[in-house]
Amino acid sequence: MIAEPPKLARDALGLGLRIPHYGQLLEHWPELDYFEIISENFLGDALPPRRNLDLVRERYPIVLHGVGLNLLGHAPLDSAYLDKLCWLAEYVNAPFVSDHLCWTGGQGLSHHDLLPVPYAADLIGVAAERAAFVQRQLGRPFGLENLSSYVEFRTSTMPEWEFYSAVVGQAGCWFMLDVNNIYVSSQNHGFAPESYLRAIDFSRVLQVHVAGHAHEANGTLIDTHDHAVADTFGDCMPTPGKAAGRSRRCSNGMSAFLPCPRCSPSWLKRRGCAREPNIS
Amino acid sequence: MVRTPLQRASGVLEVAPQAYDQELMRVALANPQLSSAERLAIYNRQYWFRLFTVFHRAFPLTTRLLSHFTFNAYVSRFLLAEPPRDWNVDSALVGFDDFLLEVLPAELVPIAGQRLGVARLAVVQAARIDAAFHRVFLAPAVEPFHPGAQHASQLLSSRLVASPSVAVLEEHWPLCELRRTIAGEVSEAAVALPEGLLKPRFWLLLRAGTKLNLLALEPREAQLWGLLRQLSVGAALERLEQDCPAEQRAGLPESTQRWLARSVTLGAWTGLETTPSTAVRQD
Repeated sequence: MIAEPPKLARDALGLGLRIPHYGQLLEHWPELDYFEIISENFLGDALPPRRNLDLVRERYPIVLHGVGLNLLGHAPLDSAYLDKLCWLAEYVNAPFVSDHLCWTGGQGLSHHDLLPVPYAADLIGVAAERAAFVQRQLGRPFGLENLSSYVEFRTSTMPEWEFYSAVVGQAGCWFMLDVNNIYVSSQNHGFAPESYLRAIDFSRVLQVHVAGHAHEANGTLIDTHDHAVADTFGDCMPTPGKAAGRSRRCSNGMSAFLPCPRCSPSWLKRRGCAREPNIS
Repeated sequence: MVRTPLQRASGVLEVAPQAYDQELMRVALANPQLSSAERLAIYNRQYWFRLFTVFHRAFPLTTRLLSHFTFNAYVSRFLLAEPPRDWNVDSALVGFDDFLLEVLPAELVPIAGQRLGVARLAVVQAARIDAAFHRVFLAPAVEPFHPGAQHASQLLSSRLVASPSVAVLEEHWPLCELRRTIAGEVSEAAVALPEGLLKPRFWLLLRAGTKLNLLALEPREAQLWGLLRQLSVGAALERLEQDCPAEQRAGLPESTQRWLARSVTLGAWTGLETTPSTAVRQD
């Protein structure tokens, strides 16, 4: 079953909700189209996060972004986790939910990291089946985010974008496209980011993540989210201008997202792909 | 199904692996800058520093008493013994204060790069204080218990159930004050342990709304809080009286009434556990 398209406007611009934001946020209520929360920060029954969430959800749409689904783990999906996720999505009436195309734990342990898999045909069906199941359980669009990665495997039989596209296509779910991750991985693995973007069906892009990254002395790029958005990967950004050139492929909502104010919202404006949010 | 765990034998990510297993090395590719082992090591590093950061945030006082370097060494020992198993990264913190109690040296805890160590008891108390702050802050919302006339007949034989948003802290050094002072500091160096207090000090840590407050407790009042958490109300009062020096006993009933009333007003209890007092721990 293919879920309904997202409810956010096509040019909706959101921010990642993080604890350091609360002070300013609760005082100024900036002009933004939505906030994205890390699902796991609100799945527990702790009172303070729930209180803050209630204040924010009264004023903004909230979308969920998870890091703990473990979609590609050996173990079956954690049904207790999924129940909580469904509850949270319902609680905030999330326009959509996303998590990563990765594994996060195995052998009963959680690594609290987004770990890559070999991109092989025999994983596509499993990943797609699970993603479709999650989307059905959620009853709303479910997006899969591409990773930043630091290692590749000899056992991969296709490029990441082919694997990613096949999973999203078979699952009937959505791309949650992180352009920073494409750029980071392209530099770490030596591929052209344009090749990646050419493979993406933009009519199935639910949201775009924009963030910064760090440079290691050995040339590796690390997806840290603690640096300003780099202009160097601006060409990766699927701007409206570019989208117009592919109008067939960009008919659905594609909201942009910045993980933190330090990521320079004006960057998006300079790119002509979104208005600048009013963050005082 | 094809997967490549980073450490296939145990699933645990080692601190600094000497060598990855052969199968993993066979499938992980090098790039022009880094060998396959160096690329895999990025994940090990991320794993450890993500978790270290979680522990630094939850145990800020303990971290600074020990210095980041020494603290991290204890965290890695703990996590190798008790690796995270849950999607909730906060669950990785559970039991760390007990672990320190078990593994810290008998008297002085050595600090990397320093001639003198820090008193074991100070580290243990700091860890208990940090753990309590973390636990109380993230406690769920609960309805406070207000005993009424209908509870009178069973009150003495029942145990009061403590609210998760309240904790009693004990300090032999001004640790809570130190915790507040270092809150805004960005430093990885060990902070000096202040002079010890002349007498142990007790605090009630409680969450009001989403704010944490500390209220000073008299030593006898702190003892009552501790006893009420373990024993039936009747047994707790009896023990309190037994432990009270004869010269203070005259004023004890009035003080006890006041302390009990205050605990109820502060929302310290969530209900009554009507277990017969004989079944409640008497230690």
